[in-house]
Amino acid sequence: MLKKTKWSVAVATLASVGLVSACSGGNEAAGGEAGGEVTVWMTTQEDTQKAAWDELVSTFEEQNPDITIKTEARAIDAHKDALRQVAGTNSGPDIYWYWEGAGLGGELVDVGMSKDLTEYYEQYGWDDRFTSAALSSVTQYGGYHGVPWTQQAQAIFYNKKLFEQAGITELPTTYDDLVKTAETLKGAGITPMEFGGTVNWHVMRLLDSLIETKCGADKADELNTGDGDWGTEPCVTEAFTELKTWADNYLNEGFMAISNDDSSQLFFTGEAAMTIEGTWFESNAIDGGMSPEDIGIFAFPTGTERLYGFGEGFYINAESDQPDEAAKFLDFITSTEGQEIAGNAWAALSVNKDVKPSGDSVLAPTWNELFANAEGIYTNNDQNFSTAETTEYWRVQNSVLTGDLAPADAGAEFQAFRDANQ
Amino acid sequence: MTATADTQAGPITIETQPSRRKRKSSKFVQALPYLIPALALYGYFVVYPMIDAVRLSFFQWSGFRTESPVFVGLDNYVRLFTEDPVFWKALQNSVIWVVLSLLVPTLLALLLALGLNRKMRGRNLMRSIFYIPSVFASITVAAMWRWIYNPTLGLVNQVLEAVGLESWTRTWLGDPEIALYSVFAASIWQAVGFSMVLFLAGLQTVPHELIDAAKVDGANAWQVFRNVTLPALRPTTVVVVILTIINSLKVFDLVVGMTGGGPAQSTQVLALWSYTQSFTNHSFGMGGAVATVLLILSLALVIPYMAWSMKGEDK
Repeated sequence: MLKKTKWSVAVATLASVGLVSACSGGNEAAGGEAGGEVTVWMTTQEDTQKAAWDELVSTFEEQNPDITIKTEARAIDAHKDALRQVAGTNSGPDIYWYWEGAGLGGELVDVGMSKDLTEYYEQYGWDDRFTSAALSSVTQYGGYHGVPWTQQAQAIFYNKKLFEQAGITELPTTYDDLVKTAETLKGAGITPMEFGGTVNWHVMRLLDSLIETKCGADKADELNTGDGDWGTEPCVTEAFTELKTWADNYLNEGFMAISNDDSSQLFFTGEAAMTIEGTWFESNAIDGGMSPEDIGIFAFPTGTERLYGFGEGFYINAESDQPDEAAKFLDFITSTEGQEIAGNAWAALSVNKDVKPSGDSVLAPTWNELFANAEGIYTNNDQNFSTAETTEYWRVQNSVLTGDLAPADAGAEFQAFRDANQ
Repeated sequence: MTATADTQAGPITIETQPSRRKRKSSKFVQALPYLIPALALYGYFVVYPMIDAVRLSFFQWSGFRTESPVFVGLDNYVRLFTEDPVFWKALQNSVIWVVLSLLVPTLLALLLALGLNRKMRGRNLMRSIFYIPSVFASITVAAMWRWIYNPTLGLVNQVLEAVGLESWTRTWLGDPEIALYSVFAASIWQAVGFSMVLFLAGLQTVPHELIDAAKVDGANAWQVFRNVTLPALRPTTVVVVILTIINSLKVFDLVVGMTGGGPAQSTQVLALWSYTQSFTNHSFGMGGAVATVLLILSLALVIPYMAWSMKGEDK
């Protein structure tokens, strides 16, 4: 009996030691494995984008049989969370896709998650490959952080048929015209503009554009990226007042309770006439069942002649143990061959200056024109602000939209938060 | 050490205290290898993160491994109580959630359990129907109810319109005045089945002879319930109340899935705000401070209730 007990104690002890060692052994194996697999983290892709991405990966793998590309895709917010959680650890991917603005891409650069790619820019001659606008986004933090993937712009997408149905023959060129257009659409029984409020960044596009419209370019830059005082600028109150007017009169019913995916359906199905979306949205709308001929775009008439936009890029993780393979892959997907495969799945215009706009895009010529006429870019505020400021910006924005906060108090409320968290 | 005394019935062995202690100690040593893996995992995955969250609440830290936490003493708590525009709303919502959870689903669960404890046709089917929602993942429940509440295509508004109550239609999850209660309704649907099963289990332990005796003494149904069933359900009620308080305070996934804490943070709760501060705003010190407040609140509610109920059992 005693022997039996001793035996079982010994087995259990060995089992516990084995369990512990098994855990540590697993980690060692994962960390020490030096294979040819390059992991890429990105957001979930639409059908057209996924098809293009799969082709990019398979073509690269055919040309480089020793390297395998493993893609992990997440929803937008989940992607942001996942990257923040692995930043600075060795649990992250080799390559990550991200927005290039200071509040997002810049934050990860600040904490050392992004590898400075100067050596690869020299090795592959990337300085000569990309447009100057695209390059400025990767050099803004010093050195070269990331490889440009898209230079996105956002504008008002409109349904030509619904405009025609409401008797609108000319596109609005001033903000007052835009309001009149919305009024006309409303009078014709058409929802003028759609947004999904559960993802805060969707309606934010309207607020950002109203800040640009009411404050002008210089003041808007001071407020968004400088030390402008949101609490004392009358233009801020005007912008929030307009935001509330849109919410009360011209946005889809119940917009605060649905997501951007749900609200986009209203545009795809011809229930809403306008929305503020980006260069990527053309393929989404076509995937959603719209005829390309029915889709049109025009810049939000801010009066500053700046285009609303931002850049997106692929970054190499500073903790990656295969940066050379990662760089090789990025070199391929941004090359002329890679960009031709990508087509207009992500954006109407390529960041590679040798690649002409895809003939598949009906809107590419208009985007080209908008870029050519733009006197600069104003960027989405969730890319300008720190993440904590963005959370508060959205709370203030939504409080105004729901009527919980008077537009006149909104700027001061946001400024109070900024002052307290400097 | 063992003392032996001869008696008519034979020798009696009296174990002294050191011997009992030795045997206990030996049993403990034998049990130790079996306990170590579970204790190690529990310590690493439960106890250590809890202590670390409290520790972090005294630091300012962005959460990045590349940046070192800076000790700031009670600053995070001062900021939380005086400058955080969301904390008090989250605390208020958490308290509302606990109070409503103790009242509505608990009472409903007890009523359902009493009803389904009677002999009736289809009793097991009914029990299953009411229990099924509690086996669904909260995020699934959230997705279902998001659709139910959809302002244009959702079941609630469509039914209201169909029966001529258009004026009652709402943007259930988009109106800050009612969004929290709309999410709570989904929580009732999900939670009531589990408490019902606990009460049903408790009802099986109520002695029939006591009920029969009460009836013989002329007690009516209410008097039987009040004086026999309810006291017998006391241990079950303690479990239900404690679990309800704990589950209410840590409500997270249902809110994330249905509103994300919005609109304008109107459905924010402490657990989600702690997560948001840490993983969205990247302020792990503030997140830790919210988590510590939540921990203190949980202990402040659960420990006195447990002490009170145990005291009642001793009597």
